[in-house]
Amino acid sequence: MSLAVVGVSHHTAPVEVRERMVFGPSEAANALITLREEAEVEEAVLLSTCNRTEVYLFPNRDDRPIRSWETLLERKAGRLDQTLGDYLFERRGDRVVRHLFQVSAGLDSMVTGEAEIQGQVRDAYERATALPVDPPMAGPVLNRLFQMALSVGGQVRSETAIGHGRVSVASVAVELARKIFGSLRGKRVVILGAGQTGELIVQALSREGVKGVTVVNRTYERAVELARQVHGHAVEMERLSEALASADIILSSTAAPHPVVTRPTFEAAFPRGLHRPLLIIDIALPRDVAPDLGDESEVFLYNVDDLRKIVDEQLQMREGSIPAADRIIRAQSDEFRAWYASLEVVPVIRRMRGRADELRHAELERLLRGMDHLTEGDRGRVEEFSRRLMNKLLHDPTVRLRKGMDRGGGADLVDAVRFLYGLEEGELPPLDGEG
Amino acid sequence: MTHLLPLFLYTGAFILWVRCLVRGSQGRGPLAASILTAAGLLAHAVALAHFWLQYGELPLVGFGAALSSLAFVGALALTVMLPLREMSRVAIALLPFIIALQGIAVLLGVEPTPLALDFEGAGFVLHVSLAFLGYQGLAVAFAAGVLYLIQHHELKAKRLGRFFHFIPPLATLDRLARIGLWAGFACLTLALAFGWAWTVENRGSLAMGDPKVVWAILSWLVFVGILGARVGGGRNDYRGALAAVIGFGGVICSYLVLRLTVGGDGLFL
Repeated sequence: MSLAVVGVSHHTAPVEVRERMVFGPSEAANALITLREEAEVEEAVLLSTCNRTEVYLFPNRDDRPIRSWETLLERKAGRLDQTLGDYLFERRGDRVVRHLFQVSAGLDSMVTGEAEIQGQVRDAYERATALPVDPPMAGPVLNRLFQMALSVGGQVRSETAIGHGRVSVASVAVELARKIFGSLRGKRVVILGAGQTGELIVQALSREGVKGVTVVNRTYERAVELARQVHGHAVEMERLSEALASADIILSSTAAPHPVVTRPTFEAAFPRGLHRPLLIIDIALPRDVAPDLGDESEVFLYNVDDLRKIVDEQLQMREGSIPAADRIIRAQSDEFRAWYASLEVVPVIRRMRGRADELRHAELERLLRGMDHLTEGDRGRVEEFSRRLMNKLLHDPTVRLRKGMDRGGGADLVDAVRFLYGLEEGELPPLDGEG
Repeated sequence: MTHLLPLFLYTGAFILWVRCLVRGSQGRGPLAASILTAAGLLAHAVALAHFWLQYGELPLVGFGAALSSLAFVGALALTVMLPLREMSRVAIALLPFIIALQGIAVLLGVEPTPLALDFEGAGFVLHVSLAFLGYQGLAVAFAAGVLYLIQHHELKAKRLGRFFHFIPPLATLDRLARIGLWAGFACLTLALAFGWAWTVENRGSLAMGDPKVVWAILSWLVFVGILGARVGGGRNDYRGALAAVIGFGGVICSYLVLRLTVGGDGLFL
């Protein structure tokens, strides 16, 4: 088969297997060179991330490149509980194009719509392009395929909601903060308690430029320790109201069995009422913040269930965009196929005319062999007649084939011409035919 | 016909903004909507220039002409915001107002008034232009206020849906409303001062029986009320947004009531 992709992904192999098949940048480069040397692969790109390790091959003559790649994978993975084949997936022809477009658009990711994969696809492609080999590892076909995949990824993300929303508690917290405050630069954060999720959220907020992180904890030493980690300062629990008074964002995750931020605490912090937005993220169980504080018009209070519900909704929203993303991918796959077919049309026309000319010559020779009485001039006229007849017969199919290519529906036409004129062996292997 | 083109372009831009909201697109959708809005403004400028060349006067008097100019000032304010990515989304709330103004103008006919004016010249142009800027400042505050209230509701309802993603952050909307209000207030105050100075000088009184004057003073008081709601009793963004929406509604209602009950001279009210 001409175009193929073979590898492991989170659909086919557990993390224990995938992690043994991750190729670093230099390992990936060596693997591609090995494929070129051992299996005479013309074009190959190796994509290796924590969720997938797969190689794109063109053309895949006699399955030699696939066998060579499997050997490489076996060598890399070492001893496995099951045979390598149990973990492998394989796609050929058009399905490779769709697969790569889906991967690049984040449709095949563990978290639908994640954006990181786009950069990883770009890295894999650039790594193959940069290899100092001749001909280049990302030759005309894979070059075009990967460039289109990157463009499809961008198009899907910009024209659908596939990448919208945040799908982790920390990123949802940051998104909420952004939608309230706009820029988070200079905003003040107060952390109550010292949980791990709280730390993750603070780190995410710090990346957005918040400043003045204040850590309040029942155990002052623990507050000092966490404050050091997040470049903030520690405050005793007795000074909680004072700390809250200057906060824009409160992040609460204590292990206290009762609410820590109660109505009296709030009123002590804001004796003249709250006149600016205040985001409170309460990820403690039981809850640290009195729920009725959420009734204040300027208080935006979210507990752990609210955040989880939001994450679920975001994922659902992304998944709702899959049909629209699929439509883009289908259209772009057709475009790639048409482009590939356009590479074939000139050789096909040449072969079609060549075949017709061979027949014309053979028939002409047979005819003239029994007509010795004809003068040179008459022979010339008969030959001219046969040439004109051939040209007239081939003129319409040639023009229509070119027009068909221009309209983007040429792939089927090329296949039909190949079949009708017995030209199955083209100069380029068909996308999903034998190479 | 020339005044229909901007109307179509503004309507097209509004449809594109709604499409962006519904489809949640971040890429070329907003750009296309922005380009269409700017094209609408350009077509509108050409239409108003054509009016000027045709009739030899600025389209500031005559009901249709004045409304069209008011719509133009709104589109101009919106176009200034278009390069500011997040603020540009206020178009979805401001464009309906602009479309309504231009639509009514087209329906009534954009023509000069046959009435003779005693207040004219540069002072009059400044007076009317400043008043238009004032009202559009209030319209911008209204549009930002509407979006603020929706976004506030989304955040309170803990629903991160299409509106949440499309509408700018609360702080951005509050800043925009503040700019619109203060700029609008300053312009309307100056416009009133010009009008007052001319009236007192030429007519010897404030002409309090004139519906235009009554409406202008009412509008100015609404501005004062909104600004008071924003800063009085401690700053409160939510209250400020609510006041802008109610205040703008009040100005429109008072205009309609005055027009339907008292009637005007056909110049603007």
